[in-house]
Amino acid sequence: MKISYRWLNEYINLSSFGDAFKVGELLTARGIEIEDIQDLSKGFEKVVSAKILEKTQHPQADRLSLCQVSTGTGAPLEVVCGAQNMKAGDIVALAQIGADLPNGLKIVQSKIRGSTSNGMLCSLEELCLATESEGIWILPPGTELGLPVSKILGREDVVLTLKVTSNRADCLSHFGIAREIASATGLALKEPKYGPLKFVENGQSPIQIGVNDSEACPQFYGVVLDGVKVGPSPDWLIKKLEAIGSRSINNVVDATNFLMFEFGHPTHAYDADRIVGAKIVARLAEKGEKVRLLDDTEIETAGTEVVIADQTSVLGLAGVMGGGHSEVQASSTRLFLECAQFSPSLVRKASSRLQKKTEASHRFERGVDPAGLPRALSRLTSLIQELAGGEVKSATFVSSKGVTVGRERKAIEFHSRYVTEFLGMTISDVEIERIFTGLDCRVEKIGAPTQSGTQSGNPSGTQGSFKVFPPSYRLDLSLREDLAEELARSVGYDKIPSTVPALTSIPTLFSEDESAKKRDLVESAKLQMVGAGYCETVNLAFSSKKWLAEFGLSSEVKILNPLSEEHEYLVSSLLPGLVQNVIENWNHQFGSEVLSVRLFELRPTFALGAQAVAAVGELETGVAENWKLSYVASGLRNQPGLKAEDAVIDFYDFKAAFERLVQNLGVRGVRLKAFQEVVSFEGPGSRIRHLFHPGQSVGVLAGRDLVGFIGMVHPKLSASLKLRHPLWLAEVDWTALRKLMRSPVEVAQYQPYGSFPSVERDFALLVSSSVQSDQVVQSALKAAKPLAKTVRVFDIYKGKPVPEGMTSVAVRVIFLDEARSLEESEVEQASAKILQAWKKEFNAELR
Amino acid sequence: MSILEKLIQLESEAVSKAESASGLEALDQIRIQYLGKKGSLSEVLKGLGSASPEERPKIGAAANLAKAKVEAALEAKKVKLEGLALEQRLATEQIDTTVLARQAHLGALHPITQTTQKLIKVFSRLGFDVVTGPEVETEFLNFEAVNIPADHPARDMQDTFFLGPGVVLRTHTSAVQMRAMRSKSWPIRVLCPGAVFRCDDDATHSPMFHQIEGLWVDRQVRMSDLKGTLEFFAKELFGSSTQIRLRPSYFPFVEPGAEVDVSCPFCKKNPKGGCKVCKGSGWLEILGAGMVHPKLFQMAGYEATEISGFAFGLGIERIAMLMYGIPDLRLMFRGDMRFLKQFA
Repeated sequence: MKISYRWLNEYINLSSFGDAFKVGELLTARGIEIEDIQDLSKGFEKVVSAKILEKTQHPQADRLSLCQVSTGTGAPLEVVCGAQNMKAGDIVALAQIGADLPNGLKIVQSKIRGSTSNGMLCSLEELCLATESEGIWILPPGTELGLPVSKILGREDVVLTLKVTSNRADCLSHFGIAREIASATGLALKEPKYGPLKFVENGQSPIQIGVNDSEACPQFYGVVLDGVKVGPSPDWLIKKLEAIGSRSINNVVDATNFLMFEFGHPTHAYDADRIVGAKIVARLAEKGEKVRLLDDTEIETAGTEVVIADQTSVLGLAGVMGGGHSEVQASSTRLFLECAQFSPSLVRKASSRLQKKTEASHRFERGVDPAGLPRALSRLTSLIQELAGGEVKSATFVSSKGVTVGRERKAIEFHSRYVTEFLGMTISDVEIERIFTGLDCRVEKIGAPTQSGTQSGNPSGTQGSFKVFPPSYRLDLSLREDLAEELARSVGYDKIPSTVPALTSIPTLFSEDESAKKRDLVESAKLQMVGAGYCETVNLAFSSKKWLAEFGLSSEVKILNPLSEEHEYLVSSLLPGLVQNVIENWNHQFGSEVLSVRLFELRPTFALGAQAVAAVGELETGVAENWKLSYVASGLRNQPGLKAEDAVIDFYDFKAAFERLVQNLGVRGVRLKAFQEVVSFEGPGSRIRHLFHPGQSVGVLAGRDLVGFIGMVHPKLSASLKLRHPLWLAEVDWTALRKLMRSPVEVAQYQPYGSFPSVERDFALLVSSSVQSDQVVQSALKAAKPLAKTVRVFDIYKGKPVPEGMTSVAVRVIFLDEARSLEESEVEQASAKILQAWKKEFNAELR
Repeated sequence: MSILEKLIQLESEAVSKAESASGLEALDQIRIQYLGKKGSLSEVLKGLGSASPEERPKIGAAANLAKAKVEAALEAKKVKLEGLALEQRLATEQIDTTVLARQAHLGALHPITQTTQKLIKVFSRLGFDVVTGPEVETEFLNFEAVNIPADHPARDMQDTFFLGPGVVLRTHTSAVQMRAMRSKSWPIRVLCPGAVFRCDDDATHSPMFHQIEGLWVDRQVRMSDLKGTLEFFAKELFGSSTQIRLRPSYFPFVEPGAEVDVSCPFCKKNPKGGCKVCKGSGWLEILGAGMVHPKLFQMAGYEATEISGFAFGLGIERIAMLMYGIPDLRLMFRGDMRFLKQFA
């Protein structure tokens, strides 16, 4: 909200207090933040009115002239000027030496073609008063000389842009801000002069007021004014409105706007002759009513709006914007002036739905002073009469609140002890009373002697007890907490001491909650990925339908009001985002250097968890959040070094990151199975199966659930995305993993390790190349249970002399019994069982 | 030639041979040649029998001396040769130690995560527990329950993404505080970190960003306790000389409400003024805070007359940008390795 400092001074004389900047500081300290302070005279310093005494041709230049100008005092100055539109005797704007014009031009003494110019005669354009102008600006004849142009223009003002929080509706006007300053400084508040009208409830009027819904419109005041002459506004009014960024329309409309910025009450003037049926009604709209508004848009009502209507049509959208039909025009002579109170939530609903945020709706949404209507309308009437004449024909009102609305709000009981208990500071009773009184509250001391000399309450223990009646315009004051804030901001938040909170009992613990455990594990997992050499990335949770479709994915959760198509859907997998990161990283890579991109993300993905996205009760949304651990890699195994040693990351490097995490976090029961072996498995991993190369990927199994994949991007996807380099992808359902993890309160339990020697046996066998080494391992472990402690494939060889289609696999088996030394014969037996199993399962032969 | 003369001759011969020996093997040969069982010196002593009894001890002593001298010469040469051999070996074993290390890739936590951890660490010292909640929230918990009813102007403060009837992407983590209060009784001290969403996208706003909110509910919690807590936090995070400043403000879930500024920790680096971070004001706005509005206790099912509490919230990206000197919020969400690697 913009406040003109000069205008503000009409209600409170701030000359003794300080300038606009000081006022800005004061307001900020009281909770009304200053966003901007603009000195309108800036750039006009040293620009003054001056008379051209003599104009002669520049001796050296045809197109220039020499002017002798006078600012009224001192010797005339010679100024070189390139314009032609002035003559001797004209009064012009002279930018003197040292002026720093609004357009950035600095005026210095200069020599132009041999003649000294002691300033510059300005055009409107140069003063940023017009976007285009011809010649220099000629001021009206008779303008006093030597006068600062800012004064002539009425620009000797400072405009403060305030951020008024939505609880302080009372500060949405010049008078309101003056009142706030008055309560802080004790300076006197001056009310503008006006003739108070006597409003008659449900009174007779040429335009009868009706209210059909008292919730929608609790109060409606109206005045009929006859014989009005609509015309341009006087200069002072135009200047005031322009200073705060409002455009002048005509004297009547300007008066209503002026009143809104003065008192904070939006009002409306209708051409009374356009009101059909001599009655104006505030009512709830019916569905589908149409009205053309002042901004020349036609709106259709939804049925929840408050409208002002006559017998035949809707005249305006109450609290938001008037209608075009009943607009005051140059020819209007009879006016109906409206000042009402509308339901804040209905106004907000209407202005939000129709996207019409206006100065009026802004104020009605926050609430107008319910007791201020008669004063505001009286003041408006006086103002219009002053500007446009006219005679009051009626002043009536309809109210659900009775004849007069109290100037006081409901009392709040307050005890000074509460200041200590709640704010942690002490304010004396006298000070408390002084502050509240200064804030226009009436303060009653509970227990204080009444006029008759008796006591109204319990005489003992009532010291410091107050009943505080806030003024009607302080809609935000209804609880003792509200009063505490008033006290705190009045004495200053800086007066509140710093203390350390005490514990009165053992606090409730959340560390064993699911959410706390989840978070701890997320943190540990992230550290594991960092340890494996991956950088954490955070992608927006949104994606576009198009990008997801590139991956053959879709999302079940759509944003109803997205910022753009790019951000329309909540992601169903983290991989599209990570792949996009990789592509962008590649795109800025030039030269022959291999770029290693290694990223991971651990965040939720979103899916429909119920029939629809809709709130069920207070806690359920219908959206499931499935956390995923996803990572991608491309480039070198290690940081670049000697060429001979630089190896490109392969499947085994990539898989290591996941296995590392599984081991270090104590995940039990997770198995990696060849892609082909998990074809028949289903689970959260199913939906990303198609992204992976069937020959170079594994499925992640948690029990019998397929929870993810780790492997090479599918060649089809790689081709369609035009990936420049091989790319490894992994995505695993985090929730599934987490369930199998050691909880953070659990720690690894010590397992005794015996001191008995183990026995090693190495086998070299020939198997079909279709046999995977894990099958060989699992088979051996099973066959020689429990003596075979470790089975490890340590060499794989294909090619001569191994026959085509066969692989030579070297396996080391370590036999161990923690409790005793093994007999040679036991090892032989176990080895034989292993060989038997291999033979049976894979037709494996020893080499 | 007498035996003595012979001994002397052999000795000088052996010593000079030892001194000029070309290697350890040659040296060994010399040892065998002179000192071995059948070596020259031993041979000479075989003629001892023909010497007179008076001469014998003299010859014996001279022979021992000669042996010792030869042995010393052999040993000295051996040490010398071994030293040479070691030097040669070391020379051949020299590698280029300045070649790049075989370095694994370094990973890094995102600055948002690191900042969150830092903040949690500070507040943990005061006994706060961490709780988290869903990013998709009911409108009820995100708004109504924290005293922002429908059609209330305070909703303008937070442009909201809607997903369905009554379902939003949470605009703040206050809903998590409400979930915490509804799930457990007071006294409560919780921190709620997490991603939040608002329909805003420009140089200083991202539609997704991160917040951390804190809540302390107990008997007689005072606004001065809030101030003390935040002062501690500011000093821990930005240094012990940091000051805080509270300014009145309005957030529907607190009353009284405050904006909290910290004294600019960067001004020290720009003593001549013109600090770019605080734009010369000396203060950085980093927090919103206040005393929990009684409406929230009511919504949580707490008996509001018994208790009071404070709450605060801050933007994690804002703190991260300050701490790491990141000039543009959008850098955080690009997944650019050049950015991410810097925070290893």
